[in-house]
Amino acid sequence: MWIYIGKRLIATVPILLGLSVIVFGMMALIPGDPATAILGSYATPENVERLNSQLGLDKPLVEQYFIWLGNLLQGDMGRSYALNRPVADEVFERFGATLVLAGASLILCSIFGLIAGIAAAVRQFGWTDRIVTFLVLIGISTPSFWLGLLLIMLFAVELQWLPASGMFAIYGGGGPLDLLRHLAMPAVTLAVVATAVIARLTRAAMLEVLRQDYIRTARAKGVSERRVIYRHAFKAALVSVIPVIGIQAGFVLGGAVYIETVFQWPGIGRMLVNAISTRDLLLVQGGVLVVAASYVFFNLIADVAQTIVDPRLR
Amino acid sequence: MKRLLAAAFAALSLMFSQTAFSQTPPNVLVVGQIAEPKSMDPATVTAVNDFRILMNLYDGLVRYKSGTLEVEPALATEWEISEDGKTYTFKLRDGIKFHDGAALDAEAVKFNFDRMLDENNPYHDTGPFPLSFFFSAVDSVEAPDAQTVVFNLKEPYAPFLSNLAYPTGLIVSPEAVKKHGKEFGRHPSGTGPFKFAEWESNSKVVVEANADYWDGAPSLQAVVFRPITDANTRVAEMLSGGIDVMVEVPPDNLATFASDANSKVYEQAGPHLWFLILNAKEGPMADKRVRQAVNYAIDKKALVDNVLQGTAEVAAGPTPPAFAWAYNDKLQPYPHDPDKAKALLKDAGADGAELTFYVTEGGSGMLDPVAMGAAIQADLAKVGLDAKIETYEWNTFLGKVNPGLEGKADMAEMAWMTNDPDTLPYLALRTGAFPDEGGFNSGYYSNPEVDKLLEEARRETDQAKRAVLYKKMQEIVRDDAPWAFIANWKQNAVTSARVEGFELQPSFFLLLHDVKKN
Amino acid sequence: MVALPFTAGKAADRGGRPSPFQLLIANRLSAAGLAILALIVTLAFLTPILPLPDPDITDPARRLLTPGADGHLLGTDHLGRDLLSRLLWGTRVSIVVGLSATLIAAIVGSLIGLTAGYAGGRTDSVLMRGIDLVMAFPYILLALGIVAVLGPGLLNALYAIAVVNIPFFARNIRGMTLGLSRREFVDAARLSGASHPAILFGDVLPNVLPTIVVTMSTTVGWMILETAGLSFLGLGAQPPQADLGSMLGEGRKLLFTAPHVSVIPGLMIFVLVMSINLVGDGIRDVLDPRLKSGALAAPGAATAVKRETVPEKPATGAVLSVEGLSTRFQTGSRVYKAVGGVDLDLAPGERVGLVGESGSGKSVTALSLLRLVPTPPGTITAGRVTIGGEDQLGASVEDLRRLRGGQVAYVFQDPLTTLHPLFTVGQQIVEALQAHQPLSRRQAEARAIELLERVQIPSAKARFEAYPHELSGGMRQRVCIAMALANDPELIIADEPTTALDVTVQAQVLKLMRGLSEAQGSAVLFITHDFGVVSELCDRVAVMYAGRIVEIGPTQDVLDTPAHPYTRKLIDCVPVLGQPERRLDAIEGLPPPVDRLPPGCAFAERCPIAEPRCRESEISLNGLSAGRAVRCIKPHGVAS
Repeated sequence: MWIYIGKRLIATVPILLGLSVIVFGMMALIPGDPATAILGSYATPENVERLNSQLGLDKPLVEQYFIWLGNLLQGDMGRSYALNRPVADEVFERFGATLVLAGASLILCSIFGLIAGIAAAVRQFGWTDRIVTFLVLIGISTPSFWLGLLLIMLFAVELQWLPASGMFAIYGGGGPLDLLRHLAMPAVTLAVVATAVIARLTRAAMLEVLRQDYIRTARAKGVSERRVIYRHAFKAALVSVIPVIGIQAGFVLGGAVYIETVFQWPGIGRMLVNAISTRDLLLVQGGVLVVAASYVFFNLIADVAQTIVDPRLR
Repeated sequence: MKRLLAAAFAALSLMFSQTAFSQTPPNVLVVGQIAEPKSMDPATVTAVNDFRILMNLYDGLVRYKSGTLEVEPALATEWEISEDGKTYTFKLRDGIKFHDGAALDAEAVKFNFDRMLDENNPYHDTGPFPLSFFFSAVDSVEAPDAQTVVFNLKEPYAPFLSNLAYPTGLIVSPEAVKKHGKEFGRHPSGTGPFKFAEWESNSKVVVEANADYWDGAPSLQAVVFRPITDANTRVAEMLSGGIDVMVEVPPDNLATFASDANSKVYEQAGPHLWFLILNAKEGPMADKRVRQAVNYAIDKKALVDNVLQGTAEVAAGPTPPAFAWAYNDKLQPYPHDPDKAKALLKDAGADGAELTFYVTEGGSGMLDPVAMGAAIQADLAKVGLDAKIETYEWNTFLGKVNPGLEGKADMAEMAWMTNDPDTLPYLALRTGAFPDEGGFNSGYYSNPEVDKLLEEARRETDQAKRAVLYKKMQEIVRDDAPWAFIANWKQNAVTSARVEGFELQPSFFLLLHDVKKN
Repeated sequence: MVALPFTAGKAADRGGRPSPFQLLIANRLSAAGLAILALIVTLAFLTPILPLPDPDITDPARRLLTPGADGHLLGTDHLGRDLLSRLLWGTRVSIVVGLSATLIAAIVGSLIGLTAGYAGGRTDSVLMRGIDLVMAFPYILLALGIVAVLGPGLLNALYAIAVVNIPFFARNIRGMTLGLSRREFVDAARLSGASHPAILFGDVLPNVLPTIVVTMSTTVGWMILETAGLSFLGLGAQPPQADLGSMLGEGRKLLFTAPHVSVIPGLMIFVLVMSINLVGDGIRDVLDPRLKSGALAAPGAATAVKRETVPEKPATGAVLSVEGLSTRFQTGSRVYKAVGGVDLDLAPGERVGLVGESGSGKSVTALSLLRLVPTPPGTITAGRVTIGGEDQLGASVEDLRRLRGGQVAYVFQDPLTTLHPLFTVGQQIVEALQAHQPLSRRQAEARAIELLERVQIPSAKARFEAYPHELSGGMRQRVCIAMALANDPELIIADEPTTALDVTVQAQVLKLMRGLSEAQGSAVLFITHDFGVVSELCDRVAVMYAGRIVEIGPTQDVLDTPAHPYTRKLIDCVPVLGQPERRLDAIEGLPPPVDRLPPGCAFAERCPIAEPRCRESEISLNGLSAGRAVRCIKPHGVAS
């Protein structure tokens, strides 16, 4: 098991390296440069050139890349041009916030998705199934950014039950309850699509499993129906669902940009959007690296979980 | 299962019941900003968003008189300008300390400008200092004694005092810079009415009252600046009581707040100009008649009333009325006259011309650039000019426009907010300000008379004489129409009814010293 | 219960299964989706000729009019442009962009997937590493990056979304292609000298195409949403061009003052994507091979029973008493009489064999006894099954459950699929024990190990922790037997337990079963197609044909002197050791499809001694001698 994990971790290194090259290349292709972003309206070509030179951006791209790589290996992710702050500080702060949001969403979507999927499969063609199928369709068809805005309008402005934005109350805030109140809407909005996907998949997997011979055997043994569903069928279905949860984790990590924008969640998705817009190369590099690494890591966890559930994979 | 549901329900009701959290604490003002601040080091920032915080943390040698753009003493009690206009001598106020305890003296002031202007200064690397060119006229700074600072300029420079009142001229504590080096931007120390308390990235910047402030302690206990980039969310927060002050209110929401009993709306004309740079070097716009036609063709009133919802005034010329002393109030904006426009076009043979129009998506002071671009395009179409819009994100846009429109476009949107009537024309209307000379004259407008007037006005230290020069310049420029003069923004703000003593400043600064909250 | 290609004629005969269109329509949600989608697409298509105001004309004086205000059905936006017009034009753009992005992603992704899956080896590795790389990139960021490089614009947003979704297609198609490339028909094509591209596109692609189509139909909606998202962020459609996303983005600023400007395009996106997803689901269901075969649902806890009359309780001391059991399968419009009236008794400790060809209904009979027949196709339509004095066909599911694995235990045919792959064999036996006996875990484990030893599994303790896939076939079957024996059942129903095993193992298991049954005193109902096995193990044997018992009697008697012509033929089929010159007669023809049983004797078509009389009317099971009965009017060894 550990050897397997070790091998997988080592295999991620070339992927991360490849990514860093792609990002460097991509940022090079984007017209504009950090100096223009910093100088704003006062960006004359002369000022820009001077600033670029100060920031070390006039060196050839390949050289810049290796400088960055060298620094990275020594634990230094560089300094953000636009924010004038060490990249590592910014990236890990923002990433922490995203992890909280992503974590909450994942928990929500896993729980509700699995429950809904099981309920629909067990009462196939009954009302539960129809309602779940319907809700799933709504879930995968709703634009999340639109939904977020509607929720804010309803819960924050009209009813004033929940705060409209941010991660903590601005004064005297902090603490888990405060966090939960701020987390409620963004996590739910983010979880909607993932829940639908997981519910749909769980239902299909459960139906598939319930057709199997070993379910018949379980019934023939006189096992209670509840045990048949939740222990026999669900465990087998889980094997197919786990990789999807892994994929949703990745999606939620890097793709929560709309949610972060609408709810002003200080997450890494929005940081990256801004960083691209301000041509903050080092920040983009750092951010993409961290997100990609975590994505790979989550997939690894999903694979390991799958192996734990299904001994045939070992 | 039932127990699980009951527990969940209890947790939910607990969460929802804490509505008290929505209300901001008494005597702490929460300000909704439009972006995350870049740095607390005033010499390194360029955006109004940052200025709003900094003007409360620091003081300059001089400051703008409340409600005007005229200069009055601040850290300096008095000053003398030499006959030739090249030497400024300031007397500093006694007994002022920085927030970190160090004393404010002439050495400190000298340190500030040396750091910014001298490339060999050991602390020059705490930059970059994009706006240091405001002080490019300064040759050297001396501190003959602890209370006296002398500036030696290379040549007379009338905007100097005004620039000192600008955030770039704010005085920072040398001790703090020496201590924190590059990280000074996160550990600021100044002499202002508020002290820096904390900065939680992307969440809040908190400043607390400075009880020892030389001009009297502020009424507020603390101020929290919250960056909320999304305008909608800002409005939602304002409506739900999450913030007390909101600036740059989207025009469409102004009406909502105006009719809300819990809010007060403020408006103030500012030194802002929104215009179209016209390519005076090549293409149809090289002909003055075509440029004037564009000015006649655009229905500026409709734009200002409908697209901008009355949050701006129609601009007549290159200088905003906010510079009251320098503004030529006899100037009339180009009226909306499509027929005249067509006639001019016909004369110039530019009937049915195709134009490339650069539009941007955002940017400081650009108001609603996409909507305005679309409306302008439609207006031009009505007089037979076919404008093709190319839209760019702000930084890309600047990268295309600032190096000059030659070979790229016939017109481009632009907006400037300045603090002195010299700045914009000097940087963008002179022959010597072409992009390849380091200026912003992307339209290549050139009129030697205007050049002369601007050079003179820059050196003229007598305000009345300066005013005459600027008024003449405005007449010429209005007629030459190197730009399509569209609008002067009326900045706006909304506060909750609990806030008192709040005023919008023509400088666009947010001064919170006298603000109270009930 | 399998419809065989028996009938000539109707080429489009699906065996009662619904046609694709029927399936689509029958699923009402899909039908609704199709209708809505058709409406939207038609409107979008017709937009240029509809009497709508120009969507780009601005009229700032008449901005933000609410829906219904004069001349503007849906109101105006912030520049005074008519919303209905912009909505329809925007929908056109969104649909076209979504479709194009899907097509591009599908084509490029499928090409990559096909190449990787077919070529295998280095090519596969390299391609998949590349795909992994793209997938590791945070999704939105890749799209944003591409748009940043290419510049904003709808076309660029399209490319960005397409590129970002290529890995999804590539992965799926590669998976399928991998499986197909190892199949025989591909080998055959290679051998026949066809070039690689020809094979790839001629043989592999057609089989993968349904998956591609299904994947496309399920991702179109997603692509539309994503492009709308980019437009929402201002990176897609540039003014004055509009798609639904950019309309939503523009309207966002007015959410509090004029919500209709954003709610309406948002609703449109929602309805459009929803209808596409509904249709996509429908298409997927249509192409799903399982649905094609008519098996729509997963089985429930017990077979449904719909009887008209209930036979009287029999007055015997039999362990199992079956009267007139009938089970039917319904798929589409066809009704298969899998079991058409079976009577059977088992005395305590008796071992009875149930013999027949595939499709004779023997397994269904066995499963029907405790209602384990999957119900969506199956229903028990008549009869009575008495065990322990109670009619199991009328019992509650809970009563049934108590019997299952307790007094009556099953052993199934394929131990690999019968045992749960994710639990150890020990856990599964323990579960069987704890379902019926109040044992603590430790006690149950001890008993389980005992059971494993009883079925002669070496190192029982170690094997306890083994997973089914770690054991050999013979061992697995022993485990199944151990499970069946866990609660000392009175009756063991064994459904072809040795068919899947090699002959030597078979012999061992049979011997084991006999020993155990004798030791326990349990009755055994042994289902098989092999007379040899029957003669080994069973006291009595019943022969089934076309869902009914055609002969029953003591094993030796039936084997020595088979009465029914079918039995005779069956026995003649079996090779006998030591008699190499014995002629093996295959039985001509095939058993009749049990949804179209002929009147009279079902075997008449293939019977060498059939006469017109045989086909006239129902033939009943007639007693021959003590304990023997036969369903024939001309049984062997009996003068007619």
